[in-house]
Amino acid sequence: MISCGKQRYQDESLEQSNGVYYWRTDLHLDSTERAFLKQHHINKVYCRYFDVVMSDDGTEPKPNATIAFTDTLPAGIELIPTVYITEDCMHKPHKDLAEKLVKRIMQMNETNHIGNVHEIQIDCDYTSKSRATYYQFLEQVRHHLSPTSYHLSTTIRLHQLSMPVPPVDYGVLMVYNTGDPRKWQERNPILDYRDVYPYLNKLAQYQLPLAAAYPVYQWIRNIQNVRIEHTVEAAEILKVKKALEKERPSLSKAVITYHLETDNINRYKTETYEEIYHH
Amino acid sequence: MKRFIIISLLCVLAMPMMACLWWDTTNSYLFSMYEQKNFKNRVERICNDNWKAYLGSTEEYFWFNADDAIKAARKKGDVLMVSYLQNLKKYLNCVDIEQRKQYEWNYPTPQDINAQKRDLQTVRTYAIGKTKTKLRSQHALLYMRCNMILGRHQDNINFWEQTASKFIETVYKDMMKNIYAGALYKSGRTAEAGEMFAEMDDYESLMTIYYKKRSFQAISQQYQQNPNAKVLPFLLQDFVNNAQEAEDAKTEGALGGKLFIRDINQQESVQMQQFCQKVVREGKTETPIMWQSAKAWLEYLAGKKQEALKDINTAMQMEGTQRMKDNARVLKFFMTTATAKPSDSFDTYFTEELTWLQSKQQTADGFFDSALRRISYQAIVPHYQNKPEQQLALMIITNNTDYIERMETMPVADLEKFFYYTKTPGDKPFDQFLQRQFQINDSSYIELIGTKYMRLAKWDKAIEWLSKLPLTYFNYHHSQEYLYYSTARKYDVEPWLTRQWLDSSNAYKREQKWNKNIKLEFCKEMQTMESSLNLLQDKALDQRYYDLAVRYAQASLKGDCWWLLRSSKNIYDSVRVNEIDFGAKAAELLQKTTMTKDKNLKLKAMFAMGWQELYNATPGAKLWTSNEWNEQAADYIRQYNRESWQFRAFQNLYNMVENTTNKPAYITKCDEYDQFRQYYSKHK
Repeated sequence: MISCGKQRYQDESLEQSNGVYYWRTDLHLDSTERAFLKQHHINKVYCRYFDVVMSDDGTEPKPNATIAFTDTLPAGIELIPTVYITEDCMHKPHKDLAEKLVKRIMQMNETNHIGNVHEIQIDCDYTSKSRATYYQFLEQVRHHLSPTSYHLSTTIRLHQLSMPVPPVDYGVLMVYNTGDPRKWQERNPILDYRDVYPYLNKLAQYQLPLAAAYPVYQWIRNIQNVRIEHTVEAAEILKVKKALEKERPSLSKAVITYHLETDNINRYKTETYEEIYHH
Repeated sequence: MKRFIIISLLCVLAMPMMACLWWDTTNSYLFSMYEQKNFKNRVERICNDNWKAYLGSTEEYFWFNADDAIKAARKKGDVLMVSYLQNLKKYLNCVDIEQRKQYEWNYPTPQDINAQKRDLQTVRTYAIGKTKTKLRSQHALLYMRCNMILGRHQDNINFWEQTASKFIETVYKDMMKNIYAGALYKSGRTAEAGEMFAEMDDYESLMTIYYKKRSFQAISQQYQQNPNAKVLPFLLQDFVNNAQEAEDAKTEGALGGKLFIRDINQQESVQMQQFCQKVVREGKTETPIMWQSAKAWLEYLAGKKQEALKDINTAMQMEGTQRMKDNARVLKFFMTTATAKPSDSFDTYFTEELTWLQSKQQTADGFFDSALRRISYQAIVPHYQNKPEQQLALMIITNNTDYIERMETMPVADLEKFFYYTKTPGDKPFDQFLQRQFQINDSSYIELIGTKYMRLAKWDKAIEWLSKLPLTYFNYHHSQEYLYYSTARKYDVEPWLTRQWLDSSNAYKREQKWNKNIKLEFCKEMQTMESSLNLLQDKALDQRYYDLAVRYAQASLKGDCWWLLRSSKNIYDSVRVNEIDFGAKAAELLQKTTMTKDKNLKLKAMFAMGWQELYNATPGAKLWTSNEWNEQAADYIRQYNRESWQFRAFQNLYNMVENTTNKPAYITKCDEYDQFRQYYSKHK
């Protein structure tokens, strides 16, 4: 019975793909980044369009840190507008938020001549407190996308694996920011196998197609103007990938790295990236 | 004018930074040689004051409103101002387009963008034509702002150098200079831009410029070019604070090779110390106190404490700004407190310095507040380690939040002493000084002392203290959740048979109140039950052991009645120092109960000893099975802990009941025991 169930929801609808997140405030690629896209056959760029945060007076959600488009992606790469919404925006429903968000994305595409868009992704660290509102919001986003053929996806953090699945076409399992940032002396807050381990047994049963996103970034914290940096060793990323795929083999179908940047490209060997993108 | 200022800096600031996380630290930076005045806030305030004056308003002016200003200008017949304001409004609409791109739901359409470009050109042409009028500064600023958004940085450089720099000093000129500095930066003239930003207290822009270029070498080169360069305090302070961060990180835990603070190693620090000495010796600097203090603090961080003290004393005699002098005094206060031996003469010095530092609290940019925090945690607490009353008093006085934890964990006798210390006028001036600085809530202390005696199972003493409290205190002082749990749960229910689950959201559905002092009742009951133990025998004694075990288990940290010993529950809580392990005590009583001849009671006691919550609060205690991290395998490995109390308890239970029929339901329905059974039947 269980194996039949697995077949039904596990990732069959996902196409094999190599993706990257683009998380800067200006879409501008240098030659290293362009070469990376080509070398690793990246066909999807999840591009952060803007954040949604609560306004200063705490009454309504507002866009923030919107991307500027000073460059374009190489031909043939699909751009997926991605919006990060802070969790407090989902503490209660906000009228028309889904409609405003969809309209803004569409307008950004039109004003900046962005084509080849078939999907949008919403990123939110929803909790048990905000889950119901967030799922309702996703339903509304889906409704406002219905005149188009756009798909809808969302990020799934490890702790969210124990909740009911969201109403989207697929989720991206965020395999980063797994630790407690205040306990960085003990474990790497970006990724530590020991923090992933308790969630492994949730994977096989999670009833939503899943892609997986792995960290290749340095986390720069600015504490009182002092730069503190964390990086994950390649072996740790690959170990986690192996453990996840053991529990849910189809997680290797759609792989994304977070995030595209020359420093991140240079941080790891080409072979490491090849292993991360190995299907 | 808020929108003005934002946009004037927007094109300069592009910090190469991602996620930013900050929380209040206790290891704040002690080297802070200039007050963070913040350019943005300063010009915004002056502009608002100017508009307030023009409008003849008596109220504080926060937001510029072009239409109100146009109306007022028309009324005054100020034609030039009207045209300026109309164009300013047009410019602000262009800024709005930029703002909409960033912060509004109605993202601009292609038509909006085209209109913006057209309008900027129009306003730019208008503004340059009015730079010889009586509103020349305002128009010149308008012209430069248009250029900035249009990316015409060279035009701004030329205009400033040839024209605007000769204007009289106004806030508009300050803003033009800021835009000019930004244009220099955009054009690659970084050093000049940096000097100007430093002069203007624009630290955000400075950090943008020097973000990746901060080093000893950069500072020495800057000094060679100009020993009094305005950017030097910024760079030196950043260097010293990085060195402090590196040293703090060393003592705050293993980094595992995964954390890379900007690498100020010992060698670079020593180079800087020598360089500071050279700067002071050369006598070209106008602020030797800054360099000498930097040397002293770097030495202190590197462990050369005596040299550091000598150098900070020397620094105190040197020239510099008042802030630099205050900073040197703070550094000396920290170093002296951290290194001096306890004595009356030190207490006299300490009193004077603490009083001074307290007088500086909530002034300037918050530096003195954060400095006191670090001094409290890192110097005051260790210095008064052997004077617990003074130490706790100082923790309260300096808002050191560790004092709550300290009171919770300190021996109850020490807390009692402190309680009496606060009530008895001190003999020494230092004690009198401390006692003047704070007041305590007597009832909270009485409850805590009584509860600490409960944690030691010293029921007589607990009763003595808790009897002093009126019922109203509990109902007023404790949270709704606390009152909800404590009124709904009973401590005589066997927790291994029945868990008293509650929905915490019900806590607020109706007002919760105690009708009796439940903690006191519990203490009295325990006292009676324990004091009559030696009067009992046989089954009555066995039953008493069991009943006491129930109460100890319930009152333990993992019991349903955790509220007897704690004011809140945390799943990570474990038994602390200066308290007894109620779970272990319950297990010990259950062990005695198992000697009974009453088969049912014996079975219940044996089963109860397998209840994992009896062991979960004991540091280092293991359950019958656990997933343990294995370094060699770099993975979690399932382990079976045959030596653990729980394993043995289940083992005994298994041996007793496995081959029997009609097992009680509490055994057959227990998942955990069933798992044990499955394992143990194959691995005896």
